[in-house]
Amino acid sequence: MPGNSTLPRFAVLQLSGCAGCEVSLINASEWVDQYQLVYMPLVVSTHAVPEDTEVLLVSGGVRNDEDVYNLRRSAKIVERVVAVGTCAISGGVANLGDRDEVRAMFMAQEQRHHLPHLLPKSRPIDAFVDVDLYLPGCPPTPELFMAALIDPENYQASSIVCGECGRKKLKDMRPKHLIGFRQGEELPDICLINQGYLCVGSSVRGGCRAICTRPGHPCVGCRGPSDAYIEKESQVWFDRVQNVFERLTDIPPEEIQAALHSPQLSMFLFQFTDYMDGGRPPRAKEKVL
Amino acid sequence: MTILRFPLSRIEGHARVEMEVQDGQVVTAQFQAIEMRGFRYFMQGTPAEQMPVIVPRICGVCSTAHHVASVKALEDIFGVNPPELAKEIRELLLLGQLIQNQATSLFIFTMPDRVGASSLFHMDESEADPHQQLSLAQRSLKVRQVGTNLIILAGGQFIHPVKAIVGGVTSGIKREPAEAMLREVETLLPMACELFDEYWEMSMAMGERIGTWGDDQPAYYIASTGRTRPQLNSDVIRVLGPDGAERASFPPRLFRNYLDYEETAYSYAGQTSYQGQVMRANSLARMNLALSMGTPLADAYLEKFTHTFGKPAHPILLFDLCRGIELVYAFERSIEILSKDLDYEDTSLPYTVKDGEGYGLVEAPRGPLIHHYTVKNGLIEDAEFIIPTVHNMLAIERALKVAGERYVSPEAINLELEKAVGRVVRAFDPCIACATQ
Repeated sequence: MPGNSTLPRFAVLQLSGCAGCEVSLINASEWVDQYQLVYMPLVVSTHAVPEDTEVLLVSGGVRNDEDVYNLRRSAKIVERVVAVGTCAISGGVANLGDRDEVRAMFMAQEQRHHLPHLLPKSRPIDAFVDVDLYLPGCPPTPELFMAALIDPENYQASSIVCGECGRKKLKDMRPKHLIGFRQGEELPDICLINQGYLCVGSSVRGGCRAICTRPGHPCVGCRGPSDAYIEKESQVWFDRVQNVFERLTDIPPEEIQAALHSPQLSMFLFQFTDYMDGGRPPRAKEKVL
Repeated sequence: MTILRFPLSRIEGHARVEMEVQDGQVVTAQFQAIEMRGFRYFMQGTPAEQMPVIVPRICGVCSTAHHVASVKALEDIFGVNPPELAKEIRELLLLGQLIQNQATSLFIFTMPDRVGASSLFHMDESEADPHQQLSLAQRSLKVRQVGTNLIILAGGQFIHPVKAIVGGVTSGIKREPAEAMLREVETLLPMACELFDEYWEMSMAMGERIGTWGDDQPAYYIASTGRTRPQLNSDVIRVLGPDGAERASFPPRLFRNYLDYEETAYSYAGQTSYQGQVMRANSLARMNLALSMGTPLADAYLEKFTHTFGKPAHPILLFDLCRGIELVYAFERSIEILSKDLDYEDTSLPYTVKDGEGYGLVEAPRGPLIHHYTVKNGLIEDAEFIIPTVHNMLAIERALKVAGERYVSPEAINLELEKAVGRVVRAFDPCIACATQ
């Protein structure tokens, strides 16, 4: 197992993020027999990605100049780069800080000595290097990590979260308003939309096994849009969410649109569709697991 | 003047140590946190009720503690007290986190130090017990997985939990999944104890090899666990003096009366002190504050620990052994909870969003964590995160300086220093993502 030099070599580069992606990867232990982990500061004491590493998983956003340096240096020497998690793909939760007053605070931190300098905003990694595969999720499940490492081409999952959720959609249970964030206990087995929750699972890519909606929490979209919407503008996706709510509820459209733009959803909802940073085309769905 | 710079690994997040050495003396030792995202600032304007879903993203290692602290802060503002069953399910969630974290710190972060390996996945097992069918790495990950599975059962999502909500939790735990989990915890408890025994032996051998468990002086201790047994979900913070006598006991809303906070120019993390005194949070603090663990196996380990090292115990490498005692405790306590009916009443109460100021406290694996929110028009006006790792910053730096003095002389710098720096920092198990947010 360890030290077996015939196994393919992979490395994990953590930029500015929460380490949740790394924790998820440690939760998947199957790679231990199939890969040789050569760099991952959270669990291995080595100080740089070694030469002849095959796969580089990158988590976290590019938040400071040291992130830029480490990312460019590491991507150059590997065969394949995988962007892991929302932060690496779009900046993630740190994107909520892309507001003037927050930026002013960051700039004030520039005064500190010897510390990596903060960039004006959190950037996705493909603003700096080419990415071969995107693995969305906050974080991606251990199962998705294994698929990305071992056989991404043949990985099969439901196209949307609903396909993995198992709650029943009803025609005759039509709330008139969103019930707010969360109040009281939800009914098991019945679609959260029928119960007035703002759940966007109906157009969010599957693969997560509906781990939030099954125990009763509405999907916030951390895996991003399904293949049908991934290369389109966000409004197309929002309209789709709108249609689902029209079919199942009597909630006014304005209420839905406003809620879709609230922080807990906007952390995730723009991670592919409104990716126009630098005027680049949207990422191809073939590259997204 | 020579500056020694040590990169760090096998800790959560990005940090490094810098020591200034002159004429064989360590002049300063700095622990530098070198990342920051700015949660306090970008949370402003967020609908208050969304906090429990957003703030776990402060840290994927400590997410559960942030999730529960956030819910408690909002409950403090809205004036709602969740049902008992919801509190039990939250405790189970926090126990899952304790197992996952202590197993990670013990086996992934610090066990390699005991045998001179670069990681758990690169350990030489040629000398291992031939009766063991599984490698140390495989057994460690299995024990750690129990914590992850508890988090999934009690928290829904496996890294950033979603089940705790203002007023309670989204649902109870049905008999069947509770029993399946109970069987898993019971089955793996002996493996957890066995691994901890091996770890204890390796630690004793290391203590003998390096000739110390830590030369640093005694310090103050801070924790929010109960007096008679651990309580991860309490509402009171306690401070112990270096002599073992209790010096203070206060609710989270009064923390400013007791704790002084300062920022530094060389780190994105601040530092707190107990009225100017160096204090320590995390496992050793809890062990020094607790009379007993309240579960049989953990109590036996605590007795062995106290018998060997005294009470209060101060050498910093003992933090690591205390994590093992807590690992065993968390297994046993989970068995107690999972043996009960966890689906007998409504698990949440209705509430109305109100404006105001509130505090949420939990004992995270690294110590007492406080979320302090001000809500105006239903939106977050300010969100302050009082982080256990920040309470340990002065203690880490003092211990680093002391360790430096052991290995630096006017003639030479002993190469063991680099390893000592790693051991000292990992004993405190700092979390940089939390400390800087």
